[in-house]
Amino acid sequence: MKSNEQKLGITTGSTGSTPSAFTFIFRESAITKEWQRKIFSWAAGLGYSLTGFGILIGVWAVLAAMTADFPGPQTTLKVLYQMLLDPFYVYGPNDMGIGVQLWSSLIRVFAGFSLATLVAIPLGMLMGANRFCRRVFYPIVQILKPVSPLAWFPIGLVAFQSASTATIFIIFITSIWPTLINTAFGVSSIPEDHKNVAKVFGFSQWKYITKIVLPYSLPHIITGMRLSIGVAWLVIVAGEMLSGGTGIGFFVWDSWNSLSLEKVISAILIIGMVGLVLDKGFSFLEKKFTYSG
Amino acid sequence: MSYLKIENMQIAFKTVKGKFVAVQDINLKVDKGEIISIIGHSGCGKSTIINAIAGMLTPSMGRVMVDGKSINGPGPDRGMVFQNYSLLPWLTVYQNIFQAVDATLKNGTKEEKHSRVERYLKMVNLWDHREKHPGQISGGMKQRVAIARAFAIDPEILLLDEPFGALDALTKSSLHIELLKMWNLTHRSKTIIMVTHDIEEAVFLSDRIVVMNNGPAATIREIESVHLPRPRNKKETVNLPEYKTIRERLLSLLMEKFSIDDSEYFKEEQAA
Repeated sequence: MKSNEQKLGITTGSTGSTPSAFTFIFRESAITKEWQRKIFSWAAGLGYSLTGFGILIGVWAVLAAMTADFPGPQTTLKVLYQMLLDPFYVYGPNDMGIGVQLWSSLIRVFAGFSLATLVAIPLGMLMGANRFCRRVFYPIVQILKPVSPLAWFPIGLVAFQSASTATIFIIFITSIWPTLINTAFGVSSIPEDHKNVAKVFGFSQWKYITKIVLPYSLPHIITGMRLSIGVAWLVIVAGEMLSGGTGIGFFVWDSWNSLSLEKVISAILIIGMVGLVLDKGFSFLEKKFTYSG
Repeated sequence: MSYLKIENMQIAFKTVKGKFVAVQDINLKVDKGEIISIIGHSGCGKSTIINAIAGMLTPSMGRVMVDGKSINGPGPDRGMVFQNYSLLPWLTVYQNIFQAVDATLKNGTKEEKHSRVERYLKMVNLWDHREKHPGQISGGMKQRVAIARAFAIDPEILLLDEPFGALDALTKSSLHIELLKMWNLTHRSKTIIMVTHDIEEAVFLSDRIVVMNNGPAATIREIESVHLPRPRNKKETVNLPEYKTIRERLLSLLMEKFSIDDSEYFKEEQAA
């Protein structure tokens, strides 16, 4: 073993029959090695990303240089910098900082998304657990799921008489499906073994739901929520373009009307970044609630 | 009077091709405190019988009676150890047992329940591992948790469905001892029904061995009594002549052919 490692030039830290003090030092160095490896892989990841962005910005600069009206990276980044310098100003209903716009979009997204989650999880559990409910509701899900968010907007306007509430409604109605479907799948795929445990030991309905159904389907539910928040963030821009008033979508539309493509591109970058953060947040939760048997 | 009685039981499943009879004409009487093994080839309906005793399957004919009453559905008087441990991976070792105790001991106080979990975890020497999750312990330890869980609900009948099938030989042996220890510690009052396809395991543990015919529509072929003295131990018991006789008897019942027929091969060899 030892000679093999030397031959291959690998050092794995503790090498068996060393006294305890040495083992301790070796183990400590193994920990720092672990950290070194982590930092190295993180730096490598950053390097790859920067290369990618370098290429993107290069292509963008070339394309911008070839066309007359299209802003290049330099002017755009300058505008973005200006926007980020003072993000929270409010000069009037049509002139607000990017931070204010972003904040009002995020509030709408979370309102619609939370409502969707509150409906989707119980309904999904019902569909997953009960064959009758599944057969009754699944066709409805299949029909409504592919409908474009914008098609829902008039319905929302009629129902709520307010463009802002209608935007929350379209986020609700479009982001409900991934969580619903994933929850139903999670609940319907509970292994027989777990069900048998509940049967043999006479678990009450409550115990069955809290100790078996929920923990088992939680990773599926979180995956669904991750997809849902992605959809919600996708829909908000379109929704706010229609509804107007405030929000990042409105900001994009307003910038276009005032012919500031730099602001439009800056907003796109910000939308992308926020979307990434939301996704990472849920994938962190996903990892946290995944267990191994 | 026997404690557990199976009378003329037939279990059939509905399939797309029609009725499938798994087992039939099953008659068995078991006394309180007996250890019974059901042995047979794969697919002979061993597990079907044990699931019927557990109340998870309903016989299509005949009935299962416990303490003079026909059973309908699972009950706290029957504990079960499953083949693949069936621990809940998101609960700790402690919680896995506690939830089962909590569900069955409906009128007990919190203290009673906790002290019971502690007692049984200590019996299987897993008290130090109580905060671990099933994913962090070995297969043998998992099965000890499952055994502790089944004992902890204090059932009259313990049902073991190929409990040691997935374990290596050494772990298996130590768990046999562990099981007999638990049985002794509960004053040999628990009736144990075990499904297995391991002949030596069946002989070592049981008072009687039920040998099944091959399925479908499997029946009981024979019931062997094992008169080995208790307490049994791995060193002496396996060397007793009685142990060997019963093992041979079971082998000849279960294996029609002891070795492959060599004569054909030799004939060809000579011809060549």
